[in-house]
Amino acid sequence: MNTKDWKILLVDDEHEFITTLAERLELRGINARVVFDGESALLAVAQDEPHVMVLDVLMPGIKGLEVLERVKRSNPQVQVLLLTGHGSTRDGIEGMRLGAFDYMMKPLNIDTLIEKMESAIDYAGKAASLGQ
Amino acid sequence: MRDALFMGRLTASATHEMQNILATIRESGGLMEDLLAMGGADFAHAERFKKGLGILAEQVERGMALSEQLNYCAHAPEATPAGAGVNEAMRSLVGLCRRDASRGRVSLVLAPGRTGLRTSLRAVEVMDLVGQVLDCGLPLMPRGCQLMLSVEEQGGLAVVRLDAPGFEALRQQPGYAELSRCAKASQVGVCAGPGGQGVVLSLPKAMA
Repeated sequence: MNTKDWKILLVDDEHEFITTLAERLELRGINARVVFDGESALLAVAQDEPHVMVLDVLMPGIKGLEVLERVKRSNPQVQVLLLTGHGSTRDGIEGMRLGAFDYMMKPLNIDTLIEKMESAIDYAGKAASLGQ
Repeated sequence: MRDALFMGRLTASATHEMQNILATIRESGGLMEDLLAMGGADFAHAERFKKGLGILAEQVERGMALSEQLNYCAHAPEATPAGAGVNEAMRSLVGLCRRDASRGRVSLVLAPGRTGLRTSLRAVEVMDLVGQVLDCGLPLMPRGCQLMLSVEEQGGLAVVRLDAPGFEALRQQPGYAELSRCAKASQVGVCAGPGGQGVVLSLPKAMA
């Protein structure tokens, strides 16, 4: 799949961080929707299922891991990349147990993020074809 | 103990916030780099701009390392059934004490020793004891000297070694009696290193 066809959802309550990340992805031909909390993320997934959701673990309101759990129940084909801080590696590991594709620490390396998005989309494609 | 845990909770929360701030600075710097790469040829100060962005990125890395060490410190008073990782405690302590030591022109170096060693002590106790050794010993060290810390296994115990020529003279320092008392209370052995040089702390074994 071409990067311009990727459907990416970015979820983080750090407005400046996540909108700048979206802008950098756009410069690389990747369109990403941005939401700033867990509630909006669940709504966005229900309205238009993304291929990959990049999800911050520590957010006010519904926490990242709860969003992950609920999305994996309602839309299991959505691949989730978790964003963690250095002190929350445990959350990343717990997230993997709950079905996250992978986790990354902030600050991000954008090239690594794109590589992980690509791997997640490839994985979802293979999983879907095996399921058919 | 309760106050240390409280301060730890506050510090942990602040370090998460610092990580978010640094991540935002890094993304903004990254965006400027992207834009420069797209249209830099027409920009008269492109090279100076690039250099400035490089410095920004370096400082973000420096801040991240510091916030990681502070975050470790914040959790250090917590007791865990598996005990404390000695290497992690030393990495955080050395990272945070480096600046203080360099004021006296002493460089602290953590040798890449055995990994995965644990002790039944809380991380804060390990850091406090080694910190006391540094407090006693650093003023004795000549300027330009290097103090090497290493984590090793000896007789099934995790040990922290501090090696520098003449460092063992800290046993004559006024603070040494207090250090010995604290070490004894925590069941930590303090002795001279091989050949009577340096200092070795033997930490109690972690529960299986």
